[in-house]
Amino acid sequence: MKNIIKIAWRNLMRYTRRTLLTSSMIAVGVALVIIFSGVGSSFKNEIIGVITNSNVGDIQVHKKGYVGSIDNLPLDRAIPEEDFKKIELLLKNNPEIKAYSERIRFGAMASNFAQTTNMRLTAVYPEKESKACPNLVKRIKDGDSSPDTFVKPGSVVIPQNIASGMNLKVGGDIVLVATNKDGSVNGMTFKISGISENIMGPQGKDGYIHMDDARSLLRIENGEIIEIAIKLNNFDRLNKVFMNLKYYLLQIKEEKSADPVFEIHTWEDLVPFSTIAKIITLLIMVVRIVLFFIVLISILNVMMMSVYERIGEIGTIASIGTSPSKILMLFLTEGLFLGFISAIGGNIIGVVILKVISAAGFTFKFGDARTEFMLNPQIPTAEIMFAVLFVVIISVLASLQPALKASRMEPVEALRHV
Amino acid sequence: MELVILENTKKDYISGEINVPALRGINLSINAGRFISFVGPSGSGKTTLLNLIGCLDKPTEGKVFVAGTEISRMNRKTSAKFRGDNIGFIFQNFNLIPVLTVYENVEYPLIMVQDVPLEKRKKRILDLLEKVGMISQKDKYPAQLSGGQKQRVAVARALVTDPKLVLADEPTANLDHDTAYKVIALMHNMKKEFNTTFIFATHDPKIVGEAEAIYTIEDGLITKMQENKQPGVN
Ligand SMILES: Nc1ncnc2c1ncn2[C@@H]1O[C@H](COP(=O)(O)OP(=O)(O)OP(=O)(O)O)[C@@H](O)[C@H]1O
Ligand SMILES: [Mg+2]
Repeated sequence: MKNIIKIAWRNLMRYTRRTLLTSSMIAVGVALVIIFSGVGSSFKNEIIGVITNSNVGDIQVHKKGYVGSIDNLPLDRAIPEEDFKKIELLLKNNPEIKAYSERIRFGAMASNFAQTTNMRLTAVYPEKESKACPNLVKRIKDGDSSPDTFVKPGSVVIPQNIASGMNLKVGGDIVLVATNKDGSVNGMTFKISGISENIMGPQGKDGYIHMDDARSLLRIENGEIIEIAIKLNNFDRLNKVFMNLKYYLLQIKEEKSADPVFEIHTWEDLVPFSTIAKIITLLIMVVRIVLFFIVLISILNVMMMSVYERIGEIGTIASIGTSPSKILMLFLTEGLFLGFISAIGGNIIGVVILKVISAAGFTFKFGDARTEFMLNPQIPTAEIMFAVLFVVIISVLASLQPALKASRMEPVEALRHV
Repeated sequence: MELVILENTKKDYISGEINVPALRGINLSINAGRFISFVGPSGSGKTTLLNLIGCLDKPTEGKVFVAGTEISRMNRKTSAKFRGDNIGFIFQNFNLIPVLTVYENVEYPLIMVQDVPLEKRKKRILDLLEKVGMISQKDKYPAQLSGGQKQRVAVARALVTDPKLVLADEPTANLDHDTAYKVIALMHNMKKEFNTTFIFATHDPKIVGEAEAIYTIEDGLITKMQENKQPGVN
């Protein structure tokens, strides 16, 4: 085997320019995959992190049909107290779940006594919300941003765009007017305790109040809630945990109709960005497919040329008794080597460029959010391993046809070719 | 003891629609330890005959025995093994492997065809390189050698496995007269030293004088067999 490697290597080095050319072509392809995957995934994960950690959570549970009419924030599709208790039991006993936070969401009119605007309110228990969405408080730029008290009874966190639009400051007063589910209107005065960056969505007018205030404002006397946001211990296990939770949740059925009482969604079902995330994944896939063809075609080309140029040599080694399987191995090893060094070279280029991007600290803005995201690509270790394996396997496959051709040559005919 | 036996061996080449009879019934028996030359005009069938004896090609009809084995019906793999174990080849174009040094070229059959342990093969290779006078050039690549030097390396490579039979098709055709003579003389010495059977094909009459027996081939048939009482005298 050592000798096969030696001969294969020397044959590769024999046509230095050709080997280098092919090798750099594959290396560029590999580098592209590495860079694309590094930048793409970091972009994706950054934004997923922002979305899930500051607002949506990983999984949400609602009363059946809620998400379908989520734009209206309907209060009549609520989870009754006794049902919520059942779900809580389920969540508390699941070791995969790190935290959950129950919420009431509703639309309200906000007035500073001179102007009025509409906004979306989420009522929470601050200590629970901070566990389910740990990055929420980081987005509160002005005022109280401590995880346990960022909303207290009587206070409200408003988004920056309303604050600047209506000239509101921390410590100022604002009146929130809401319609409850029976249709009666109620209003309460709140003190502004914090101003947050716009969180998301087209209007981005999301504010937070304390759960107790929501109950008084909406005249909810029992413990019913609208949604539960769930945070997992390990985001990578999202699908498993989701399927498991879904299985148990959907067993809770309506008494009369035997329909499930709840619905459950992952963040992907709830946020439009998930489509972009899918497109990024798809693009990485496309780049890999392009790499596949680059490797396949260039290795096939080089190996076909190698076999053709060396027919006489193949005749010689076959004549003096080299077995067909050894001849096959010689050419396969040559192709494998070419692929391997190219993949390693490509990985080095890719990693260096990723480091440069990382060091340069590119920032970009997403949508109308005023937050800047830092492009901080991680070195995709799995992708690097994958690229090497992928290229080596395709190289061997591409060398197979030329190598088989070499091993099946009749020595007499091959010798005549000199 | 008979090393090579051909029984009514025929070989036809099909080129397009036409059947070209290259060998038309060869009966031949060559004893071990001989130094034999096939001569004859171009196209008479010398190369075809050597290929059959060398287990590189199969006869259309008849049988070929080498070292007691019928080789005329072997498959690709077994014939490769048979060649590796029993036959050494010397070619008109030297056919050294360009990416290997002189030493490595001679080593090739011992590692890629047979599996000879390091110490044993090192001794054998150096010994042979010494005998063919190429020991001082052992780290050079074929491209750095003259034709005669290349052919001497090829002789060493053909002999390194200690084969029963060495076949050489026009081994001197690409060499000038003096060099050609030296290479033939070298082969003759090797034959004496190792008692290996040499069969070569040539149409160079000056080289023929070195052979112990000369078979004349004309139009696919052996037409004359001549013993040479004093080889190497002229
Ligand atoms: N592969 C082939 N296909 C068709 N005909 C062939 C083939 N090889 C040899 N022949 C024919 O067979 C006959 C014998 O050829 P061979 O090569 O054995 O002659 P030779 O004695 O070695 O000639 P030379 O001295 O020129 O080398 C010739 O007529 C040649 O044209
Ligand atoms: Mg010939």
